[in-house]
Amino acid sequence: MPDSLHVKVFRFNPDRDVEPRFDNFEVPVFDNMALLDVVMHIQNCLDRSLSFRFSCRIGMCGSCAMYVNGRARLVCRTQVSSLRTQDITIMPLPNFPIIRDLVVDMAPFFEKWKKIKPYYVSNKEISEPVVVRPGSGEREIIDDMLDCITCGCCYSACSMVATNSEYLGPAALNRAYTLIADKRDAIRVERLKTVDRSYGVWRCHTQFNCAEVCPKNIVPTRSIQNLKRRCVLHKFGIVK
Amino acid sequence: MDVIKADILILGAGGAGLFAALHAYDRHPRLKIVIATKGLIGKGGCSRMVQGGMNVVLNEKDSLENHFLDTLKGGGFINNQALAWTLVSDAPKAVYELEVKVGCFFDRDEDGRIHQKPFAGQSFDRTVHVADLTGIQLISRMTDQIFARNIKVFEETRGLDLLTSKDGHRIVGALLSDIRTGEIFVVNSKVTIVATGGCASMYKISAPSFDKTGDGMAICFRAGAEFVDMEMVQFHPTGLVAGRSRLNGSLLEEGLRGAGARLYNGLGERFMERYDPERLERSTRDRVARSSFIEIMAGRGTVNKGVYLDASHLGAEFVEKKFPGMVERVKDIGKDLAREKVEVTPTAHYQMGGVCIDAQCQTNLKGLLVCGEDAGGVHGANRLGGNGICDSTVYGRRAGDTAALLALEEDLHPYQEAEAEKMRMRWLKPFLRERGENVYEIRSEIENLMWEKAGLVRTRLHLQEAAYHLENLIQKIDEASVADRYLARYNMEWNHIIDVANLITVCRMVVNAAKCREESRGAHYREDFPETDNENWLQNIYQKKGTAFQLELTKKPVLLSHFKRENIEDCFFERVKKKRTYTESCDGSTCL
Repeated sequence: MPDSLHVKVFRFNPDRDVEPRFDNFEVPVFDNMALLDVVMHIQNCLDRSLSFRFSCRIGMCGSCAMYVNGRARLVCRTQVSSLRTQDITIMPLPNFPIIRDLVVDMAPFFEKWKKIKPYYVSNKEISEPVVVRPGSGEREIIDDMLDCITCGCCYSACSMVATNSEYLGPAALNRAYTLIADKRDAIRVERLKTVDRSYGVWRCHTQFNCAEVCPKNIVPTRSIQNLKRRCVLHKFGIVK
Repeated sequence: MDVIKADILILGAGGAGLFAALHAYDRHPRLKIVIATKGLIGKGGCSRMVQGGMNVVLNEKDSLENHFLDTLKGGGFINNQALAWTLVSDAPKAVYELEVKVGCFFDRDEDGRIHQKPFAGQSFDRTVHVADLTGIQLISRMTDQIFARNIKVFEETRGLDLLTSKDGHRIVGALLSDIRTGEIFVVNSKVTIVATGGCASMYKISAPSFDKTGDGMAICFRAGAEFVDMEMVQFHPTGLVAGRSRLNGSLLEEGLRGAGARLYNGLGERFMERYDPERLERSTRDRVARSSFIEIMAGRGTVNKGVYLDASHLGAEFVEKKFPGMVERVKDIGKDLAREKVEVTPTAHYQMGGVCIDAQCQTNLKGLLVCGEDAGGVHGANRLGGNGICDSTVYGRRAGDTAALLALEEDLHPYQEAEAEKMRMRWLKPFLRERGENVYEIRSEIENLMWEKAGLVRTRLHLQEAAYHLENLIQKIDEASVADRYLARYNMEWNHIIDVANLITVCRMVVNAAKCREESRGAHYREDFPETDNENWLQNIYQKKGTAFQLELTKKPVLLSHFKRENIEDCFFERVKKKRTYTESCDGSTCL
């Protein structure tokens, strides 16, 4: 490992700056250093006016996604050593409005999340936890897909989101799948209609941008393909 | 200043705050409910970071009485028994609601029913979970339910102070600050629920999310709320050792020890054999953490001042399947949890102490409800693993129900503009000076001070020193300045000054109560009073703000509503006997 890193940080304050700029910092390296340690060092010791967002620091909350060396990542879960270079460029997530410096406004992401009705609707006939044997296949691949921490990495990496502001995006569609495939949910068919649109599942061109960057190793493309199949079967009248 | 009127204001959006909002809304959907959270909705705080799971009695072979007794035993019998009983008896309802109404799906057993795994300090395997990262699902699904309802959410908006009515007896809302714009505004409400979490982050090595800085507790303290047993801070035995990285102190979940993982000191000895020969690594958190700490302090730790956690004998495949999140976390520091031993250290984790509440979450101040980690009394001197999220959900539900009832009964009382303005000016002070103290230096001073003087092993002298230094630090934080004086928009440094001011407020209560309790019990260990003293100390310590920001402290005997003194003596007798065996079997100097 080198002794120090050359870090370029994106700076922009919509209240004051006409256009964004990059500031350069030299940051000393230590063992087990994550990118979060890098931005915290800059903020605490080198330039206290820097803004970024974080919370849990262990990859569970999805607050600290940034665009580092050309890729969306959770900075708390990215070890500096894994970048294999001394030169680091840190920018806010693409496809989001900027609040200040590295902090983005997640509203567009959550507006789309809300569009698919992301909430479970309880079935009146179910009054206690259902019996589901682990190997029964009843849950399909739902449980693999439920680990989403809504960090927005997939949304920022998706080239279809970048070119179609209406497209629901990978995370929302993945959430839709986990509900539509959940036999306990009461409005599965209604929800299927919300995704069976041009700017719903059909906008996904299976480029796997989302899967490449997902810090939880989810493959939203898989959920989306699964939804496409369901949509077609639904049109044939074979409701699953 | 903008003023927003609401029926119910909730500060905090972890398990407690979210459940409170859902329950209040579902009781009366016409109520105007406002939630303010310091982070993004559903992302701040520790409920989301829950790994292990939630204790609940679901199996007919288990019983509420067993869960209750485990909770009291774990808590050194100074729990508020009415609150502990409510915890265990409401827990099954909370879990059912999470599954059936909120839409969570807990891991299943082979027979298709909810799986329950072993946790430390429990007489029955009763922890329900979603693999080893349970909180993600709990909080994500609750957040989704918030989206389904007409509940106003203010993200990245923090409570600064509670507002009082003219007669001073009632809380009528809060002064808040929008972190994104720096604007300060008022929410005038009939009922205010505080659920922002504790601040174990006052210690150098700690597990909570960084945004938890005891804001709610400090806010309540300034408003005159009464606190109980603030000396009780839990240290989790297995925090990851990761040097200067922010990963340092993050948790490796208790289920690992539950499943049979072992602890070794630097000499390769399985040291728990000496401290709790019967329960070994599955002893309660307080004992395991303190044992590790004593080993490390006696020079029997690892090079990096830790001990080893070894799960490799459980079989790599088993560990990888059951604890994927933990394996991945350890991988970040270049180690393989499934195949080798990993260095761990005790890490500050949870505050058992907090604002005094009754089973309806009401405090000594009208119009103020408190739930979750901000409240005290449920867990006594030590919380069992798995009882934390149980507390947040059980009492979050109750706070929501109570708030809905109160909001229908009460009128909206006006706030005092002069009071709000005075508070606003106080918080804006860092912008007014050109030069001042550096908040980050103050923060690390606090963390070191608390770790060294008021941590796992305490003495009167150290606590006196801590109290003295804290008074200085209060002065210092009052003189802190911000580098970016012209911009309050997403000003991290300014927010950190507020964080640290709150943190110190809570630290003072912790140190003051720790000084007072001259015995050892649960998480509180006094080297100068190493024995548990049931004769004099089956007592709770109460504190609130006195004149001129001083602490007013009183003691009251524990109310033994369910379990009487005799039962307690029996349980302690068992433990004392065990301790003697250990003292005889080792050479003395570092024994408990």
